[in-house]
Amino acid sequence: MSFLLVNQLSRIFDLSEPWILRKIKGQQKKLLKAVDKVNFSIERGQTYALVGESGSGKSTIAMMVAGLIKPSSGFITIDGYNFFSPTIENNIKSSLRKSVQMIFQSPYASLNPRWRVGDVLKEPIKAFNLIESENGQKRRVCELLEQVGLSERDINKFPHEFSGGQRQRICIARSLASEPKLIICDEPTSALDVSVQAQVLNLLKDLQKQFSLTYLFISHDLAVVSTMANRIGVLKQGILVEEASPNKLFEKPEHDYTKMLLTAAPDIKNVSKIP
Amino acid sequence: MKALDNLSFNVYPGEILGLVGESGAGKSMTGLAILGLIEAPLSISRGKIIFNRQRIEQNANAVRGSKISMIFQDPLVSLNPLRTIGEQLVETIRTHIKFGRKEAIEYAKSLLEEVGIEQERFDAYPHTFSGGMRQRVVIALALAPKPSLVIADEPTTALDVSVQAQILELLKKLCRERETSIILITHDMGVIAETTDRVAVLYSGTLAEIGRTVEVLNNPQHPYTKGLIEATPRIDANSLNSKLYQIPGVMPDLKEIPVGCPFHKRCPQYIKKCVEIKPPLLNERAACWLLDTENGIL
Repeated sequence: MSFLLVNQLSRIFDLSEPWILRKIKGQQKKLLKAVDKVNFSIERGQTYALVGESGSGKSTIAMMVAGLIKPSSGFITIDGYNFFSPTIENNIKSSLRKSVQMIFQSPYASLNPRWRVGDVLKEPIKAFNLIESENGQKRRVCELLEQVGLSERDINKFPHEFSGGQRQRICIARSLASEPKLIICDEPTSALDVSVQAQVLNLLKDLQKQFSLTYLFISHDLAVVSTMANRIGVLKQGILVEEASPNKLFEKPEHDYTKMLLTAAPDIKNVSKIP
Repeated sequence: MKALDNLSFNVYPGEILGLVGESGAGKSMTGLAILGLIEAPLSISRGKIIFNRQRIEQNANAVRGSKISMIFQDPLVSLNPLRTIGEQLVETIRTHIKFGRKEAIEYAKSLLEEVGIEQERFDAYPHTFSGGMRQRVVIALALAPKPSLVIADEPTTALDVSVQAQILELLKKLCRERETSIILITHDMGVIAETTDRVAVLYSGTLAEIGRTVEVLNNPQHPYTKGLIEATPRIDANSLNSKLYQIPGVMPDLKEIPVGCPFHKRCPQYIKKCVEIKPPLLNERAACWLLDTENGIL
């Protein structure tokens, strides 16, 4: 059975005005279908990429998989458990929270500027009651820092003392703290420079092998996706218009929207086109 | 602190020159310096900026906005949200060209047409436009005084790929039709490849390499350029199983730029000379001692 299963997932946002104003103005309800009957699945240890432009529903799906917002209809199972099922037991719910973690787009916004790196990394350890002793916690934090290519000496520094790439490494370390099985990477390198982007993408690949992690990788950049994903889903206005392996998607795209994305993406290979 | 150090380049009439580099390399600073927008505590301590045979580094007021104009990254910030785009265009036109109101309105409408916006939108407010349409308005504003040089600072970074392609196409078209030169500042090697005629690669405020885009991208001479190109992911189904090339380390802080070549600490091929003396631009192409074959270094 696949590790993550997304079945007929939909999410509708209600954008209408308050009831009383609607009655006065005689308006109907305004509903936005952000995600519309999306199906996909990921095998354990694989990477699935969702691509699409802004407003296509990529992040809404990520939030639902992370259990942050509730689907309007359809369901998601992780390791066979449905987080939003009314009958789910509390201990399974909390173990699901532990096994799904997230890495966000901007490492400048996702780290508290007033917390030291050590405290940032200790937070998930404390929140999930993973290690009781103070010394044990510190050892774990050092281990995490090493895994992402930072050093023990960084434990007492503040986020502003690091470059963008290093900050994203801290975010990755934080997501690894609870020994997750699924990591949702929401545009993890779009705020980074090219050379740093390569470092972070390679690190994510290494960690995937080391801990057999499953990634849900969200990006608008087809070139980045082609270096990371085993399967790619193309989203357009909440609808999954095409899903294929990278081979098939790049060689023989079927949907017009995919073709458009592929021709629009600036590619360094296209330099020879210039007269 | 030196934000830019001994930087020299030319822009020829009607060409698109790309300025590429990582954040902090001095790309935007170069653009601001050309427009005379460097403010205290920063100043231009040395060097010349020559535009149409005139030196402008101390007195850019005469050309700013009229002969040289700028397009910024975020189109929402560069437009006044409280005034219609028509008003903003007319204001810009009448500041720089001696036009009556009616003439200015006519001209503004023709500009909108040129950048692909219907004339009916003349009285619309910026918030009613999408990101790409706003950037078109900003381009119309930049073109209004008929400048001979436009500096576009990351004009498409805030936009989706499909819109980005349209805007870059528009810039190319305008460059051809009006024979306007464009300095395109970007960090995206893909944009450089598809848009520019020549490219200048900046590193730590110095010019690492400059040349025709085709030559620089197909046959890079500076190890930094090589690294940047290798590190750029490509749309390729076979890249999944291989790792991206990574340049070790990060670009040094302005306060800690090393002696010698600013890149030598990250360079896989550095020699003794790189640590001691900063290389000048050699063969009119790249600032790297490895090209210095005459003195028998290799």
